[in-house]
Amino acid sequence: MTANGWVQILVFAVAVLAITKPAGLYILRVYDGSMRWLAPVERAIYRVCGIDPDEDQHWTRYAAGLLLFSAVSMLITYVALRLQNHLPLNPFARGPVPDRQAFETAASFTTNTNWQSYVGETTMSYFSQMTQLAFHNFASAAVGVGAAVALARGIARRSGGRIGNFWTDLVRGTLYLFLPGSFILALLFVQQGTIQNFAHYVTAHTVEGVQQVLAMGPVASQSAIKQLGTNGGGFFNANAAHPFESPTPWTNFLSMFAIFVIPAGLTYTFGRMVKNQKHGWALWAAMFVLFAAGVTTAYWAEARGNPIHIARGIAAADGNMEGKEVRFGIANSALYATVTTDASCGAVNSLHDSFTPIGGLVPLVNIQLGELIFGGVGSGLYGMIVMAILTVFIAGLMVGRTPEYLGKKIQSREVRMAMLYVLIFPAYILILTAASAVLPAGLKGLNNAGPHGLSEILYAFSSVTGNNGSAFAGLTGSTYWYNTTLGLGTLFGRFAMMVPMLALAGFMAERKAVAESLGTFPVTTPLFVVLLIGVILIVGALTFFPALSLGPIVEHLLMNAGRVF
Amino acid sequence: MFSAVLDLLYILLTVAFFGLMLAYVRGCQRLGREETGEDRP
Repeated sequence: MTANGWVQILVFAVAVLAITKPAGLYILRVYDGSMRWLAPVERAIYRVCGIDPDEDQHWTRYAAGLLLFSAVSMLITYVALRLQNHLPLNPFARGPVPDRQAFETAASFTTNTNWQSYVGETTMSYFSQMTQLAFHNFASAAVGVGAAVALARGIARRSGGRIGNFWTDLVRGTLYLFLPGSFILALLFVQQGTIQNFAHYVTAHTVEGVQQVLAMGPVASQSAIKQLGTNGGGFFNANAAHPFESPTPWTNFLSMFAIFVIPAGLTYTFGRMVKNQKHGWALWAAMFVLFAAGVTTAYWAEARGNPIHIARGIAAADGNMEGKEVRFGIANSALYATVTTDASCGAVNSLHDSFTPIGGLVPLVNIQLGELIFGGVGSGLYGMIVMAILTVFIAGLMVGRTPEYLGKKIQSREVRMAMLYVLIFPAYILILTAASAVLPAGLKGLNNAGPHGLSEILYAFSSVTGNNGSAFAGLTGSTYWYNTTLGLGTLFGRFAMMVPMLALAGFMAERKAVAESLGTFPVTTPLFVVLLIGVILIVGALTFFPALSLGPIVEHLLMNAGRVF
Repeated sequence: MFSAVLDLLYILLTVAFFGLMLAYVRGCQRLGREETGEDRP
């Protein structure tokens, strides 16, 4: 570990702290309707689509709209990918995307996951990239933020189960948040040298005397939204390690910063909406502590390196550079891996599969904690609120009082929804990981034996169910078994968790607010932050501890004993 | 022909999943109704 590395991590952390309030205030204005500079466009969309923007929807109607929109847009993408050879903007005559990959890709992008079992530059036409995948990058992000704001509304007011309007949340989030944000970010990327064109691929002659085809395309615009919307699906297979996508240290920094801007800002927005700004900062603090613990562990493990490499004469000071882009080095690779898995982004600038076992454990645990360390746009905040509700429930049980959260009593139906939210996630991951570890179809895709092989399967199912989308690689995910089960994992991880969360919002919106009393557990103190972190670790980490013991933990012990997989 | 059958299966799988989710909304609503929503002392 170097002072230079720590300074870069510290600068990043300070930048996230600094952007939280301005971003939060901006998001607040987007969703309270006071931002109007695109009002004519907004009104035109409502008129054409037949939306009544003043309708305050019951949570069941909000959820039905969200599901319907997602189902239809996913089916359209499936068909478009299957027919891309008949559609325009296909200068390289790409054939149809195979059925299993089209299903997985459509599900993955609809759910803000962007797990990719294909090579973008050799599989997708420009039409597919720009109209289908980019559409979902915007829409799925807006759906996520809208859902988080709906939960905040449910907590903040008493409205008979009404939590806002799905369609206006979708339109306003896209128009005022993601379109302008990604436009500015794309310009910054282009200024730094990220390519943005429709040119034919370039054939270059290398110094070794062989020909190399260099992929071109509208990369800056695609990269901007996939970072800002925590989508993560790269234009190139190498994602953010590719020099045409991230050519400078600044683009690397901006890529990471963009991932955290909206999730961090949403904690401030939430504080404002529920009229308890200190609680918003308490959630931010819990997220930050978990982020700091993750990046410190990953940086330490990667800088320490692999003792087997060191024994063979590789300088210990170099650390573990396997699978890392030399331009970014260990500090920025560890930071990027932490950020992209804290948030459910999944963009990568290094190969997580090549991290040391403990270095690789960090992204895996980040995902398994439920993608709530800042988290995905929207999903991070609502995941954290669910954990906060469980925390006050447990604290309430300890002192023998009916638990309250921000003036609303928490009773059995709220806890049922919170538990549904919490249990679906590990259930899908662990059941499908276990099945893949024993079924021939699951083992067929495995390229590594022993604990590393198990880690690869566990990472894949954790990544899709957490809607992260980063891959541990080493697993051939392009098979009928994996394409189908991983595609379904993205759907369960998104919607089977979102529905109880929206129900929770509706139930809380039915409750009247109660005044704070001496028995109310304060949710703004350091004690609350410590308890919240404790609940997250107990619920999240311990659920997966047995699986992690058989994967990266035993692999770490074997590595120290001189054995690798 | 084989691919057309699989296309249909994947489309049906998608429709079935979202149908299940709509039923899930109803289920969550029913779970909420079991309790009146009135605050208990």
